[in-house]
Parts: sequence; structure tokens; C-alpha cells
Amino acid sequence: MQADDLAGLATDERFRLLKTRFRRLALTIVGAFLGWYFLYIALSAFARDFMAMPAIGNVNVALLLGVLQFVSTFALAWRYTRYARRKLDPLSAELRDEAGQRQAERERERRILAERHRIENWTRR
Amino acid sequence: MTIGLFAVFIVITLGVTIWARVNTRGTDDFYAGGRAFSGAQNGLALAGDYMSAASFLGIAGIIALSGYDGFLYSIGFLVAWLLTLLLVELMRNAGRFTMADVLSYRVGRRPMVRTAAAVSTVTVSVFYLVAQMVGAGALVSLLLGIHPGETFMGISPEAAQVITILVVGMMMIFYVSYGGMKGTTWVQIIKAVLLMAGTTALTVLVLSRFGFNLSEMLGAADARSGRPGEFLNPGQRYAKDADGIVGKLDFASLAVALVLGTAGLPHIVGRFFTVPDARAARTSVNWAIGLVGAFYLMTLALGFGATALVGQEAITAQDPSGNTAALQLAQAVGASVAGPVGGEILLAFIGAVAFATILAVVSGLVLASSTSLAHDFFGHVLMFGKPKESQEVAVARFSAFVIGVFAVFLAVLVRDMNVAFLVALAFAMAASANLPAIVLSLFWRRFNSTGVVCGIYGGLLGSIALVALSPVVSGGPRSLLPPPVDFHVFPLENPGLVSIPFAFLCAVAGTLLSGEKSDPGRYSELSVRALTGAGAHGQPAKNVGGAR
Repeated sequence: MQADDLAGLATDERFRLLKTRFRRLALTIVGAFLGWYFLYIALSAFARDFMAMPAIGNVNVALLLGVLQFVSTFALAWRYTRYARRKLDPLSAELRDEAGQRQAERERERRILAERHRIENWTRR
Repeated sequence: MTIGLFAVFIVITLGVTIWARVNTRGTDDFYAGGRAFSGAQNGLALAGDYMSAASFLGIAGIIALSGYDGFLYSIGFLVAWLLTLLLVELMRNAGRFTMADVLSYRVGRRPMVRTAAAVSTVTVSVFYLVAQMVGAGALVSLLLGIHPGETFMGISPEAAQVITILVVGMMMIFYVSYGGMKGTTWVQIIKAVLLMAGTTALTVLVLSRFGFNLSEMLGAADARSGRPGEFLNPGQRYAKDADGIVGKLDFASLAVALVLGTAGLPHIVGRFFTVPDARAARTSVNWAIGLVGAFYLMTLALGFGATALVGQEAITAQDPSGNTAALQLAQAVGASVAGPVGGEILLAFIGAVAFATILAVVSGLVLASSTSLAHDFFGHVLMFGKPKESQEVAVARFSAFVIGVFAVFLAVLVRDMNVAFLVALAFAMAASANLPAIVLSLFWRRFNSTGVVCGIYGGLLGSIALVALSPVVSGGPRSLLPPPVDFHVFPLENPGLVSIPFAFLCAVAGTLLSGEKSDPGRYSELSVRALTGAGAHGQPAKNVGGAR
């Protein structure tokens, strides 16, 4: 893959859309899980009485929220994957195929040029 | 019997390794397993690489003795995978075999960058390796039931420890230098299946004792914990109220390193490249999240179950740090289901699983560091990026041997020290040295090679220096150096809270102060390639960039 094939795509409208979508999604997810995780850590360190309150039988708030961290991790992973499949994959596949085609075209041009060169050299002799 | 079951594991994995040797030809095979593993296979292997004996035995032990605080490790280790999920596709598309490939794609051929990445990879891996191998040595005397002062078949506990370290070392060198990524991946897959099967069986048996009522199990654990009424509350081990604000900051520092370290661990990053394309890489991380999540949820049952069924007194009598809690639990549960014989069988099975776990994790680490030495340092620095493939693979096999021997030597040397802090330190180093360089390479247009080098060394040296000046080394109650020596300046035992921002700062300062111009064209190229996968390294001899 030639460098300018890739750099050329960087200004493509569809690539910009792909980039914006990915960054928005990634920032949302990072913000959500880091915020929730550090809130939980802060509660464990500073809100001991709250965390020690019983929730269900012998299960206290600390344990319940801990298990919720697992649930939220699974949910965010699922959310990301679903979004990527619907909104990111089709765009990136389209751009990738185009880059591949451009490369193939360039390859063909190069081969035709080389062939022409060969013939010219041969006729000159 | 444990030894017998473990021998079966060894024989099977040796067979797989020899098969892998026959099917390994070039660098794509040796470093990336031919990029032919499916998402599910690689997901199992990722989980296998990640779930160390420290998490299996260590976390179960901490939960058994300190209750809820041990569960915090489980949460951090899992949540960290979300960051990995967001980065995995970009890194798979941009890189070839190692983290340095991603970094130098951005800044061009700079030997400094490759060298820094190799240094960081090897350092992180070796610290982690030593912790695992010392753990293996300690485990064997406990498994064989040798107490200090006694002998087992004429072997003293000290000798058993050294022998175990040597055997583990020999096995891992063989797996890696002979089987490469293909062999190591299958070892990980087998281990992950065994570990999940063992933990699931144990969890189901434990819960069945309490009629699958979690609350009842917690109540029973509380009663036998030695401090009923408090055991289930946070603060039994970390950030005790007595330690004041320093304890709480230390706790936060540990939490930061756990959650940011995973995506920079070299043996995890190396695994991103074993699949055909970015989609498969994403699938494999999703598999890993499912497996790792299920596993760490089960540590709750193992830990609290051990307290409830074995009791705190019996656990600390066997090992004061609780590392044998899961094994004792296996014996107790097995005995209650099928009598003493059942207890022995389940104990032997779980013991063998623990050994397989250690062996698989250390192999992953040796592979990651030998890949980096051969590909980054030998291939790109010494041979200017133009080595013969066969040469590079030969160097990789040899590096595996050198690193393995070095790690065995270190592990034997420090075998009597309490090296548990090394695991947390390895995570802190990965988070400080590797993560800033990766993130800034992918997302900051102005980042340049000076910035990469400053960030990596700043994070690496920063975290090591902070630990050296902390109560871990001197002046604390559990320090490595004896009491009169005290040169600690930094109050926290975990460096992450300071060293990670410091590394980002170094990277940014290095970039801005160097006066070196970054190449915006290369940044555009990298972002196109990372997001679309155009031009990414695919399966050899097939359609480049994936044929989906």
C-alpha cells in the first residue's frame, strides 16, 4: 500500500465521519467506565458506612455495586461492539476497498508502462 | 497425584509444541502464529495469558482473609479490558508484531524509539516473570505439604522451591523457543479451558453447599472469619482508617495502575496480531471480557467459600498470606462430596491447574520479550530493519533462552523475598511507560520521536524510582531491607498515581521542547490505516487487509 493512497483518504468526507464517530463513541465509553470505576473506588475509600449498609440479606452495598461493575463492563462492551458493527465497519470496509482498488489500478498502470518501455526498447534495437 | 495430572498436561502441551515447530516457518508464524487464529481461539488465549496464578490463588486468598477488599482486584482486572477493547482494532491495524511497530509507524525509522520500546517490554516482562516464578516455587512446597524443617522424599522445602523454579524455567524456554507463537497460543488455550473448568466446578460445588444462596454463604463466611460483623465491609486490608489519607491515596494509586496497565502489558499486546484482521481482534477481546469476567465473579465464591468452609484459622495456619485458600477449599469441598478420596482428587486437579496457569503465563511473557528483542532490537536497530527472516527467528529463539535463564537466575536469587508487590509494579510500569506512548501516537498529531522516547523512559524510570524510594523497599513494616535502613521519601507503595501523569508530562514536554518537526502526513496515514485497516498486515499469501 502506497503512502499517498492512505494520506489521500485522510481528507475524504467519509473518513472524517468515521473518525468523528469513533472518537465520540470512544470518549463516551472511556468517560463512562472510568468515571463509574473511580466513583466506586472513592466510595470504598471514603464512604465506608454507606458501603457497609446491607442491601439484600448479607449482601451489602459494596458487594452489590461491585457486581454492578461487572454488569456495566459487559454492557459497555456489548454497546461498543454493536455500534462498531452498524456504524463503523461498513464505512471502514468501503474506504479500505477503495484504497485497495486504487492500489490495484496503480499497479496495472505501472505494469503497462513497463511493458511499453520494453517494447520501445525492443523496436529501437 | 498432582504431579501425575501435571505430567499429563506437560505431555499434551509438549506434543502441541512439537506440532507447532513443524508448522512454523517465518516471522509471521513465530511472532504471530501465522495470524490464523480465530477470534474465539485468540480470546481464550488472551484470557489464558491474563489470568495468572496470582489472580487465581492470590485473589481467592485475599478475599478469604480480608473479604471485600480482595474483590477490588477482581473488579480492576476486569474493567481494564474496556480500554483494551477500544484500542485493540487500532493497534491491530497499525502494527505488525509489537508495540514498537505502532510507535515507529508514526515517527519513521528511529532506532531510539525501537530501543526504548524493547527496553520497556523486557523490563515489564521480567518483573512480572520473577513474581510468577517465585510464586511457583512457594506453591510447590505448599502443594506437596512440605513444612519448613521437614523433608519430602529427601527434598527440603528450599530445594523443592529451587527445583520448581528450574523446571518451570526449562519448560517455558522450551515452549517459546521451540513452539513460537503457535505453540504458546495452544498452551494458553488448553490452560484457559482447564482453569475455567476447574473454577466452575469448584464454584458450583461450593454454592451447592449453601443451596445456591449467596447471602447464606456470606453469612457463614462472616461467622468463621475471625472478626464477625466487620468481615464483609470495605477497608479490612486497604486504606484502613488508621492509615489516614496516605492509605487512601495508595489505594487509589493501585486502582489506577490496575485499570490502565492491562492495555500496555506486552504479552497482551503481542496477542492482538495473531488474528487475520481487526474484526477478529475485537471478537477476541470480547471473548476475553466474557471469560475474564466470569472467572473473576467466581473468585467471590472461591474466596468467601474458603472462609465459610475452611475457616480463617485453618487458612492462616497453612499460609499466612492465604495463597492456599483455594486449594484447601478444593480439598474440603471434594471431601464433603465424595469422602477423603474425593478431597484428594479435587485438590490434585486444582493444584495441577494452578501449575498449568503459572507455566502458561510465564511462557506468554517470555515470548513477548523475546519477540521484542529479536524484532525491535536485533531486526530494526542492529540490522537497520533488513534482517533475513530466518536470522530474525533464530535470534528470537535464542533470546527466549537468554531471557528465560536470566529470569530463572533472578527468581532463585530473590526466592525468599516477598515479591508480591512486583505484580502491581509491573502493571504500574505498563501503565506509565507503554500506555502514554500508545495513546499519544494514535491520537496526537504533533507527537514526535523525542516525545515517545521521553514518555517511555520517564514512565519506566519514574515508577521504578518511586518504588525504590517507597516503604516497599525501606522504612516500612514489610520492607525488603531490614529496619535500620530507611531512605524512603515517597509515602505510597503504589507509584501509578504519580508515575502515569509524570510519563504523560514527559512525553508532551519532550515533544514540545525537542524542536523536532513531526510529520503530519504520517499521522494522517496512521489514522487512516488504524481506523480502516487499509494496508494492514494480513494473513500471509492472502488478500491483504482482509477479504470481508
